[in-house]
Amino acid sequence: MIFRIFRKELLDTLRDRRTLMTMLVIPILVFPITLNVFVEISKSYEESASKETMKIGIVGDKNQYYTEQLQQIPEAVGPKKIMVFQDSAALRKALNQDQIQLGLLVPTQAAIQRKNQTPVNLSWLLDASEVGRSERSEIYSSYFKAKAESQRLQELGLSPDQIKPLSIQTINCASEKKMVGQIAGGFLPYIFIAFGFIGCMYPAIDLFTGEKERGTIETLLTVPVSRWKILMGKMLVVVCSGMVAATCALLGLFVSIEFLDLADNKELLEVIHSILTPYFILSMFALLLPLVIFFAGLMIPIAIYAKSFKEAQSIITPLNILVVLPAMVGFFPGIALDFQTVFIPVVNVVLATKALIAGTLSWAYFLAVFALMCTLALLAISLSYRQFGKESNILN
Amino acid sequence: MIKATQLRKEFPLSRQQRKELNTTDTIATAVADISFDCQPGQIFSLLGPNGAGKTTTLRMLATLIKPTSGQIEINGIDAIQHPQEARKHIGFLTGSTGLYARLTPIEIIDYYADLYQVQSKQREERKKYLFDLLNMHDFLHKRIGKLSTGMKQKVSICRTMIHDPSVVIFDEPTSGLDVITAENIIKLIRDCKDQGKTVIFSSHIMSEVDLLCDELAIVHRGQLKFLDSMITFRERMKANNLTEEFIRIVQAPITTP
Repeated sequence: MIFRIFRKELLDTLRDRRTLMTMLVIPILVFPITLNVFVEISKSYEESASKETMKIGIVGDKNQYYTEQLQQIPEAVGPKKIMVFQDSAALRKALNQDQIQLGLLVPTQAAIQRKNQTPVNLSWLLDASEVGRSERSEIYSSYFKAKAESQRLQELGLSPDQIKPLSIQTINCASEKKMVGQIAGGFLPYIFIAFGFIGCMYPAIDLFTGEKERGTIETLLTVPVSRWKILMGKMLVVVCSGMVAATCALLGLFVSIEFLDLADNKELLEVIHSILTPYFILSMFALLLPLVIFFAGLMIPIAIYAKSFKEAQSIITPLNILVVLPAMVGFFPGIALDFQTVFIPVVNVVLATKALIAGTLSWAYFLAVFALMCTLALLAISLSYRQFGKESNILN
Repeated sequence: MIKATQLRKEFPLSRQQRKELNTTDTIATAVADISFDCQPGQIFSLLGPNGAGKTTTLRMLATLIKPTSGQIEINGIDAIQHPQEARKHIGFLTGSTGLYARLTPIEIIDYYADLYQVQSKQREERKKYLFDLLNMHDFLHKRIGKLSTGMKQKVSICRTMIHDPSVVIFDEPTSGLDVITAENIIKLIRDCKDQGKTVIFSSHIMSEVDLLCDELAIVHRGQLKFLDSMITFRERMKANNLTEEFIRIVQAPITTP
């Protein structure tokens, strides 16, 4: 009988456009679209910035030493036009009026400083809030530095190796998998927690508050089926919706990385492929399932209590923030699964998934998180059952 | 048959409700120790003004809510101890009943037939009988959301009767319906009586009661003000017409034994 109720509720839910949007369409499309748009925009900004003719104003370059060096820099770096200013005030004014994009201040004693082999302090003036200007000034600076250094070494009769008495290397012993787990591991659980929650939201409201609002609950409760079976049939749909939304979001992310060339780093792709093993996927879903049941069990009592769709939505939406905020813990470095964090719901799933990606999750911690989440899921089911049994809740 | 004995229902009052009702009582008595029997092949009517306790009484009979005290028997089954068993015999229809707007009539009927565990042969027979009777064939596969009020009411009737219940409970079934749709309901109530079913229905419209009922109970503020046959009600009538008599009874002071 639970399965019969589940079938009907699923059919009803799948015909609801709003639920379909939050369960399938948005999770599948959100990452391909947002990542694609983000990558395309930043690419186009970079391209337009590199093609932009940079007007460079120079002050104090008496014998045109740096002007000549600037002219020697290849055009491949980006087109440029050099303008000479009488003083720094005129240069600043031109910069503020965007007549020039970069200003170079050369000290008046630059030639003497070079001759005396003391450092020459050049200054770039620029508006750092504009895209590409800092980057272009850094490129020009590196040209100046390289030229000055090789000239100084030549004057001193030294080779580059002679001024490098010590070389220190740092060798990262962590596996690529662990590095990905550490850097990107917080992102994955955040996605499935956020979408798992959103996926549960509309079906929970529709199947419980909606049933009260439409006046169908009375007839449903007069059928010879126990209330816990009715609750289970409905709850299964809510949980399925949450699982489907979370899976679709992950699928969308995977499609973005795999087929839209958003991650052009081959090594990173290899690491992602090595992470996506049946063991990893099964373990992740083992953590996700009790979490989604827990979410459903939190939302259903609210949906049962609420008298209207609006009221249910106004209570559940702030709950979303309460649940999703702890999920962001995965973004912070240094927080790991330990004896304390293992007992914090949501946080424990995030940290366990992060460790799972890095390949550092121990069986003891995995089982502890799984057991705790299953216990919470059962408590949430029992809370839902208590609320569903209350006469004051089920009849408006 | 239905047998209600000393049926009582109390609801706790929240602080907000106490404030609204201007009372210090922590509980409200919706139904106060009422008893009556409904026999098969008879139409029993529960008549009373709004807020009299009719819906609460019918909801208790339909096992939707539990009485605070008292007993209910449905075809000899203790409906308080064994509600699921009792529900197999009950068909419940209210004027405010909704339907699943995204499903079609046939999907709803099949769903309820499954929930009532109607065997496939009996189900097909019942569906054919009800679809013919209510002339539903033209809209069986259209979504409920696209149907007229009359069509929806037919679906509600069909859903109520698919398991061929021997006890049928109607809670203000014609409330808010147009004359033609209301006529379908009245015809259904009469059909149920002719088929020997136990029928109980609530109303606040005296003319509707006069048209249909054999036994009458008038309730006011949760208490029984009159319980006898319709014939006796007419015989004892002191006012000029039935509606005036109903008002006279309702407004009469409560006599305590």
